Amino acid sequence: MNPRRTPPSGFPRRTVVRALAAAPVALAFPAVVRAQPAPVRVGYAIARTGPWAGGAQVSQEPNYLLWAEQQNAAGGLSVKGTRRQIELVSSDDRSDIETCVRTYEKLMGSDKVDLVLPPWGSNANFAVAPIANRMGYPFLAPTALSRRLIEMQLPYFFLLLQQPKPMMDALVDLLKANGAKTMAVIYVDDLFGLENYAALKVAVQGSGISIVEDKSYPLGVKDLAPVLRSMKDKSPDAFIGLTYPPDTILASKQCKEIGFNPKFFYASVGTAFQLYRNVMGAGAEGVLGMGSWNTKTSPGAKAYFDAHVKKFQKEPDRWASGACWAGLEIMTAAVAKAGLDRKAIRDYVAGTDHSTIIGKIKFVGSENIGTPGSVSQWQKGEFEVVWPKPIATAPLQTPKPPWA
Amino acid sequence: MTLGAWAELVASGVITGGVYALVALGLNLQYGLMRILNIAHGEFLMLGAFLTWAAQTGFGISPLVMLPVAFLLLMALGLAIHRLTFRRLARTSADLDVFEARGLMVSFGLMFLVQNFAQWLWGGELRGYDYLADPVAIGDARFAANKLVLLALALAISGALIVVLRTTLLGKGVRALMQSPTGAQLVGIDTERLHPLMFGVGLGLSGVAGCLLSMTYTISPAMGEPYTVTALIVITLGGFGSMAGALVGGLALGVIEAVGMHFTNPSLKTLLSYGIFIAVLLWRPNGLFARR
Repeated sequence: MNPRRTPPSGFPRRTVVRALAAAPVALAFPAVVRAQPAPVRVGYAIARTGPWAGGAQVSQEPNYLLWAEQQNAAGGLSVKGTRRQIELVSSDDRSDIETCVRTYEKLMGSDKVDLVLPPWGSNANFAVAPIANRMGYPFLAPTALSRRLIEMQLPYFFLLLQQPKPMMDALVDLLKANGAKTMAVIYVDDLFGLENYAALKVAVQGSGISIVEDKSYPLGVKDLAPVLRSMKDKSPDAFIGLTYPPDTILASKQCKEIGFNPKFFYASVGTAFQLYRNVMGAGAEGVLGMGSWNTKTSPGAKAYFDAHVKKFQKEPDRWASGACWAGLEIMTAAVAKAGLDRKAIRDYVAGTDHSTIIGKIKFVGSENIGTPGSVSQWQKGEFEVVWPKPIATAPLQTPKPPWA
Repeated sequence: MTLGAWAELVASGVITGGVYALVALGLNLQYGLMRILNIAHGEFLMLGAFLTWAAQTGFGISPLVMLPVAFLLLMALGLAIHRLTFRRLARTSADLDVFEARGLMVSFGLMFLVQNFAQWLWGGELRGYDYLADPVAIGDARFAANKLVLLALALAISGALIVVLRTTLLGKGVRALMQSPTGAQLVGIDTERLHPLMFGVGLGLSGVAGCLLSMTYTISPAMGEPYTVTALIVITLGGFGSMAGALVGGLALGVIEAVGMHFTNPSLKTLLSYGIFIAVLLWRPNGLFARR
């Protein structure tokens, strides 16, 4: 067998000549553009491929795109009153921490973009936040959930989402107030699952609720039925899944399959997605989960929801998407006030009580203490906030109806 | 544990195992016959799943109708891919080992290409639909109807493939090629036609598996890789090139995982699968069911 050889191919000469002829014209263009103020360059890396993409493409990147479009349509981002167009400099991090870190190093180090927006998920933020902090870029993370991120005490890092403790406290409060005595817990064995499970264990202490069974499972699990069956045999009042989107749906489907229908059924990331309602259909009714807002929360939330549906033909999720948009609102206000001086932006974010579509946000250290821990419930096609009562959009319905 | 609970547990393992078997059969055809270790096998499963999802949500076409469609489309794709890449590789590679190494590289490339294509076309989100999700009670045990359909079809298709390979002239040719490629060519078996055909059938099977999986699981462009890995474990269990071995291996792995998860912890599932994988490689490197 002979290896085939092909002659090296080059550009046809004519193409090269044409390109050379066009070059002076292209060079003349910047002069025209310069008549307007230079764009504000906003960089980020986010998962468009790989396992993180499922969350990132629901809760995060669509909001970045919508934000840039809305600001530009209004004449640009107000930088201390001067309107400047937003230029997004973005790339795919392929759900890979290394790629993510390197991209941000390039964006902040050599590209020297004006602002950065965070990547998706606790792990990526964990890796990138210290670098952003060192380079003095304010970082408002909408999809990071970890005590450890707060304990790093990074002055430029802000977490918008409610942390494990308030979320689990709210859940236990709800269960206690509604007479639950026992619960069975599954949790994903990564940072998210472990921290939430630890917070849950602390929260149930002295609440009169006992954990009758707890099992961890790995990311990408394909079958939870063996575990769910043994939980069903113990008939607990509540099922708590500290789960990621694919497993949230897997656990729900399999509970329906085996007829495990406790009074309270709670699952975590993904319950707030439109996908959950699409996949579970009428079976979604009464399911509890991590959610903090919907269109009834504020007029701003309604406007944001409608704009999102109009642009992407899909609904934002009722948890992190709202936090993401709130973060962009804060960033917009900060730049309007402080310009592109990143230290001044950071001080503005840290020292101001912000009013956003999901309510008041206020930071102590990196943590948002303005948004209370919350629980939402699917009721007739909407993910209603049911706990705590001051921010509830509908009363809790209990017990959960049978899976439909 | 009662007898009923045991039955339920084993049955749920068999259901998962049925899918493993179907995916592994397709990969085994490619590896056992042509030494193409197709790392992108799971990506074609993902394509099958997305085609079915798109047809179901966009046009209301039943996933069962999509089953043969997915098979034929993926098979056609397989023929095209074989013509564009592996046929060329086979001609330019000095020997089978070189071909295997280069084929592995090509299939890595295919993996990224296909995954990114799906990503570009459909986006990176999770997708899913609701089909035959109502539970069916068999005795005390309850299973989602779509899972029973999945198991029945996975077993039927695997069985049909094994019967075809055992009883038909075509099957004889394929088995001859697996045993001795040179010998088969000497007695006049046309590798130029059989290779692309079997590569296509392998991809078609992964398309069918994807179609079946989309009925019960959420799907995303990244869903394929774990299935490729599982398929590799299964064909190691069953023996490279052994179809019946892949079927039994797949079912066994499903049951072992289900029972293991019930008595220990789902987090240990991977440990369990890889433990078996390593044990088989150490003690029965030709597979549990090898006749040698």
